[in-house]
Amino acid sequence: MTAALYGLFIGVLFGFALQRGRFCMNSAIRDTILLKDNTLLKAVSAAILTAMAGFALLELAGLIKMSPSAFFWGAHLVGGTLFGIGMVLAGGCASGVTYRVGEGVVGAMAAAVGLATAASFTVFGFLAPIKDYLQKNTKIMAGEANPTLANIFGLPHWVVAFAIVIIAVVAGVIIAGKNKEAAEAKSTASLITRIFKKGWGWLAAGIVVGLINILAFYTSTLAGRSYPLGITSGWVGIVKVLTGYEQVVDGVAKAYTLGWGDYLIIGIVLGALIAALLASEFKIRWPGWKTIGQTFGGGLLMGFGAITSGGCNVGHILSGLPQLGIGSIVGSISIVIGAWLMAYLMFVRPQTA
Amino acid sequence: MESTITATKTLDVRGKICPYPDMDTMTTLKKMQKGEVLEVLLDYPLSVERIPRNLKKQGHKLLSTDHLDGPNYRLLIEAHGLK
Repeated sequence: MTAALYGLFIGVLFGFALQRGRFCMNSAIRDTILLKDNTLLKAVSAAILTAMAGFALLELAGLIKMSPSAFFWGAHLVGGTLFGIGMVLAGGCASGVTYRVGEGVVGAMAAAVGLATAASFTVFGFLAPIKDYLQKNTKIMAGEANPTLANIFGLPHWVVAFAIVIIAVVAGVIIAGKNKEAAEAKSTASLITRIFKKGWGWLAAGIVVGLINILAFYTSTLAGRSYPLGITSGWVGIVKVLTGYEQVVDGVAKAYTLGWGDYLIIGIVLGALIAALLASEFKIRWPGWKTIGQTFGGGLLMGFGAITSGGCNVGHILSGLPQLGIGSIVGSISIVIGAWLMAYLMFVRPQTA
Repeated sequence: MESTITATKTLDVRGKICPYPDMDTMTTLKKMQKGEVLEVLLDYPLSVERIPRNLKKQGHKLLSTDHLDGPNYRLLIEAHGLK
């Protein structure tokens, strides 16, 4: 078995967790202003903190090496904002549209095709010069390395990572105590039913996604990829295989074969399909041509944006923030700005007008 | 749970993507009179859980959640029922 196949296994786990955990980062960001609902945002925070602690431990154990995103502010601002706009149009982020393909959501399939198409054109097609221009001209390094919250202050990575995790957890517990959140009614259903049939609570969903990401970082390092979960480049890999793309290795052109990140995508769709079937939530859902057009267009923006910014919501928010990369911080903020802008234009303003 | 309440209005958001099931439900309820009942048909798992969670904040009352078949659910909501 090649190490790349670990990606398939991780993907199945991730897809299953996304579907059961209703882990939608588009909703997480959008709902805070649209529905004043923070449930999914809390799940995302739990996933980031779990990964932050786990990545630091793996590095201390010598099992991985941090690979924070490069920092090119212009590319993050343009790409991230377009990605945020695109994901509101598409009705899901990069991971959201991928797992919903497995649920039978046709709108998500159209978004995924748009994402894969535009991302591919941005990697090796006619959109590549725009990305290259933005990335080259706004790049900032911290000495030889990509800047992180740790190395710009000259601190070891794990010190900053653990400090953030501890402060965030303590703050979270204090806020939760103050709010005296109505404790969700304890479910009397069996554990099996709760795992396979019901949606998970936010904390469980967040921690599970964080743990999967830790496993992802480790296994992708074994496969020579050395980055945690990411979505967009995997879709590009699938396009490369479908179009018979050839890459030059040591002066010889060779057909591209699926790597860890590409298997991850196939696994996510499979995992979500399995989870949806078990919970009898699978159904081919046809939303009408207008929505198909909208989600496809959203997918196009997301694909261009993710490759330009050097990461999608997963690459930057779930995998980049735990590595403390400055590029991922700016990339994440840009995604949030784009998403809020579009959610305001599409949903908030029409209501008040 | 079998419901004998008759709905004033029916909203079918099956097949719609996030966040339309939620948004359409909320905007429809907003325009309805107090005491009128809205029936929502939906097949989007996330919204089946999220709509009931957010109804309260808007002052609407969830009367029942019926699981039809597969991912299909029916919600009955009393507009402004908590005001």
